[in-house]
Amino acid sequence: MSRWLTEGLLTHKPTTAYPARPESTAGISPGLPVPSSELTGQALEQLVSMCRVGALSKEKNTLGFDDGRCIHCMRCKGKSPKELEWDDSYEWARLTKLGEKNLAKLSASFKASLYIRTIDAGACAACLTEISLLAGPNYNMHRLGFFMTPTPRKADVLLVSGPVTDHMRDHLLEAYDSMPEPKRVIAVGACAMTGGVFGPSFTCAAGLSDMIPVDVVVPGCPPPPLALLHALLVLTGRKQQAEKIRALGSDRS
Amino acid sequence: MIVKEILIVFFALCAAGSVISLLTKKAHLVISIFGSLASVSLVATGILGLGLGKPLNWSQWSFPIFGQMHFHIDGITSILLLLTGVVALPVSIFSNGYLQRYLGKYSLRSFGVMYHLLLASIAAVFVTWDVMSFLVSWEAMSVLSYLCVNFEHRHEENTHAGLLMLVMGEVGTLAIAISMFILGSAGGGLDFESLRLGAQELGPGASWAVFLLSFFGFGVKAGIVPVNTWLPRAHPAAPANISALLSGVILNLGLYGIIRMNLDLAPVVSVNQGLVVVITGSITALVGILYATIDNDMKRMLAHSSIENIGIITAVFGAGLVFSASSDPTLAGLAFIAAFYHLINHSIYKALLFLGAGSVDARSGTRDMNRLGGLIKIMPWTSLMFLIGAMSIAALPPLNGFVSEWLALQTFLQSATLSSTSSTLVRVTFVLCGAALALTAALAVTCFVKAFAMSFLGKARSAQARSAKPAGGTTRLSMGILALTCIALGLLPTYVIPKLDESVNVPRQRHAVESLVPAFFRPQDANPIMDKAFVDEFHDLGAQVGKGLLPGRGLVVLHRGQARNPVVFAMSTSYTVIVLGLLLAMVFLLVHLFTRKRTQKTRAVWAGGLENLPPELTYTATGFSNPVRVVFNTVFRPQKTETRHQNVARHFRSAVSKQWEVVHLADRWVTGPIVHVLDKLAHLAASMHSGRINAYAAYMLMALVLVLLAGHLFT
Repeated sequence: MSRWLTEGLLTHKPTTAYPARPESTAGISPGLPVPSSELTGQALEQLVSMCRVGALSKEKNTLGFDDGRCIHCMRCKGKSPKELEWDDSYEWARLTKLGEKNLAKLSASFKASLYIRTIDAGACAACLTEISLLAGPNYNMHRLGFFMTPTPRKADVLLVSGPVTDHMRDHLLEAYDSMPEPKRVIAVGACAMTGGVFGPSFTCAAGLSDMIPVDVVVPGCPPPPLALLHALLVLTGRKQQAEKIRALGSDRS
Repeated sequence: MIVKEILIVFFALCAAGSVISLLTKKAHLVISIFGSLASVSLVATGILGLGLGKPLNWSQWSFPIFGQMHFHIDGITSILLLLTGVVALPVSIFSNGYLQRYLGKYSLRSFGVMYHLLLASIAAVFVTWDVMSFLVSWEAMSVLSYLCVNFEHRHEENTHAGLLMLVMGEVGTLAIAISMFILGSAGGGLDFESLRLGAQELGPGASWAVFLLSFFGFGVKAGIVPVNTWLPRAHPAAPANISALLSGVILNLGLYGIIRMNLDLAPVVSVNQGLVVVITGSITALVGILYATIDNDMKRMLAHSSIENIGIITAVFGAGLVFSASSDPTLAGLAFIAAFYHLINHSIYKALLFLGAGSVDARSGTRDMNRLGGLIKIMPWTSLMFLIGAMSIAALPPLNGFVSEWLALQTFLQSATLSSTSSTLVRVTFVLCGAALALTAALAVTCFVKAFAMSFLGKARSAQARSAKPAGGTTRLSMGILALTCIALGLLPTYVIPKLDESVNVPRQRHAVESLVPAFFRPQDANPIMDKAFVDEFHDLGAQVGKGLLPGRGLVVLHRGQARNPVVFAMSTSYTVIVLGLLLAMVFLLVHLFTRKRTQKTRAVWAGGLENLPPELTYTATGFSNPVRVVFNTVFRPQKTETRHQNVARHFRSAVSKQWEVVHLADRWVTGPIVHVLDKLAHLAASMHSGRINAYAAYMLMALVLVLLAGHLFT
């Protein structure tokens, strides 16, 4: 404890103010491309062929973008015939249809105190590194009422990363099964959403959505810690609330 | 006079038992029959002795050197004889089944002889009334208990443990003998009546010498810190029935000596002597329970816990000495009652726990709590009895340990408000020692939660624990007797306390029971002492609730003896049972009420994704007690050794094993240095022994010359 305290004092790096104020430090997020509708014809096809993970696609002569596959390789940013716009924000998490339905049912007591169990379902450890930063001093999710727990029996949220390899499949299902109701699932990263660069293949599935019901998905490879915080806030309905409050404040001023 | 005859019957039964076990192969059967009969006769002696009213004295047999033998039975003796009988009866029954494991390995005949003689020598220590026969029976008891502890003599550590016990006991006996001879020379005789006269003649210096020597000497047998180190070694070495006798009876002999010397023969008149006893007792209690909590060997843990209980008894007894020296008879009487009550309770539940540990050891083959677990499914009866014992020793209501520990703590804590005469030193000491005893009580709960939960609950953590067998009938019977005694002593303190008062406070001729258990709480309602306003005040406080419904309501009250606000403290185990029962029922009711609508689902225990939870990964005894080990690290100072096994290079570790070795405080500070010095001296003496015959001849010649010279000079 003493090390990060002194280090924090020496380097003047306080805990982030997010979600009260947006975090604007450089390099906080790798960013995602913004598909523009101006591209057509040859340039569009060249750009799509440049994307090796299939995040960019051609949809009725316009550029389609699947954030569940993007790995921030930035080929489309640097080398494309016409540079794509790049979004440096991190508020990427979104509720699935089921998540929207479940959000209304979540009682108030879970919003301020949420216990999280992380499952590594065959991830490359990038997502896990970002998750482990959540409890650190920079992001400090405890201030928001989010806590890690070692057992799914006491968890409210399952934080799953990885494309779900065959070896982890049963254990993932077992962990989900031993959670008490109400239970929520967050799919962390491209792999957990769509299989990412790994799946589907002969050793792993294409994400976890066909195994267990997913409430919130977070794109990114890996998603930065703030995106994960955002996901947790979205899951509990606190992000929408915070934005409403912020909007009210800006209206008055 | 029938008491005498029954006592002789007891000795005759012991003699018969030892002779018959010499003749037969089935000595375990002889022990269970003759030992039990002897114990029953001892119980009868005790009960009749309690009804005697005044002490019974007689003299018998005269020996050329020893002189006349004197015998004496009074209240203290009767209670201890009764207690010895109550403990020895189940132990003898238990021996029948337990000793069969030694058939063909060790000589059961010699065990039978030693066992019966040990019983006889224990009773002899209680009833003899002159120095010579007391010391002879004391020595007999020491040697016989050494032989019994050393029964499994083919294991070297057992022999070492027995030897240490013998050596420390002999040093103690020497101190006892010197203290008694000082008193005897002042009183001009060697019977205890002369010692009593001699105590009045002594000056302060000699009186301190007698006090310290006898406290040390008897303290060795009782297991008081720092002369306790033989106890945790002797217990794991001894067979379980001897362990039960050792903790249940033989430790009491040491306490009996302390009590007899300081209460009766040479009554303590200086407050400081009492404070020495209080402080030593408190330290003993705390050190005992600390080492008990971290120990994972069932029997060694119980041995450390015996030290703790002896400490509590000594501390409370010392409080009584302080009070009686500072002329506070009520509190002194209260303290003596509490000390004796705790002594009785400790004997009963410790014997019960040792029998339980012995039966676990015999049926599973291990005493290591890290390797046990899950025994409740295999041996449910043993578990239940062990639970009763563990709850008693952890002082949980409504069992007997609660009553005595509550009385003891109240005596300590109320002394500041009740006693006006005490000095600042006394007050500070009492506050500190009371805090130490409270901490002890709290740690005792931790210790025995661990002992029960880690041995009997959860999953079996070794193949031995999995393949254990249920205990036999005699084991269950013997443990049942002790468990029922625990419950009875817990529920009926109002019957026990007046009896204790009558017998314990005889030497002081001051009774505490009038101010402790008011007369109208007894079943018969006559109360000539109390005036009406006083009784009404109690009535308004609700003291008469349940009158006529509960035979022994067990309400123990200390009152100030005036009509306004009379109650200092009040406690009732039988009410507690009812209240606890109702509360428990209410909890179930409320839980049912609030969770009616909830759905329940049952899932397997989460094992971190493993197929099934390996027992080695469950909570172990070491893990449970680790917080205590960490918090009291400065006391334990464990020596840590870490061994790393590696393949190829330093970075490829295949295994890491860590070992903690805790050396006892008393070993580090007291026994260790003494042994070190003795070792040095022995080496010095050994250098004389070169092995050459010429040198030995020279030594003999020199000795002869010295003797001749001395003879020439001094005649």
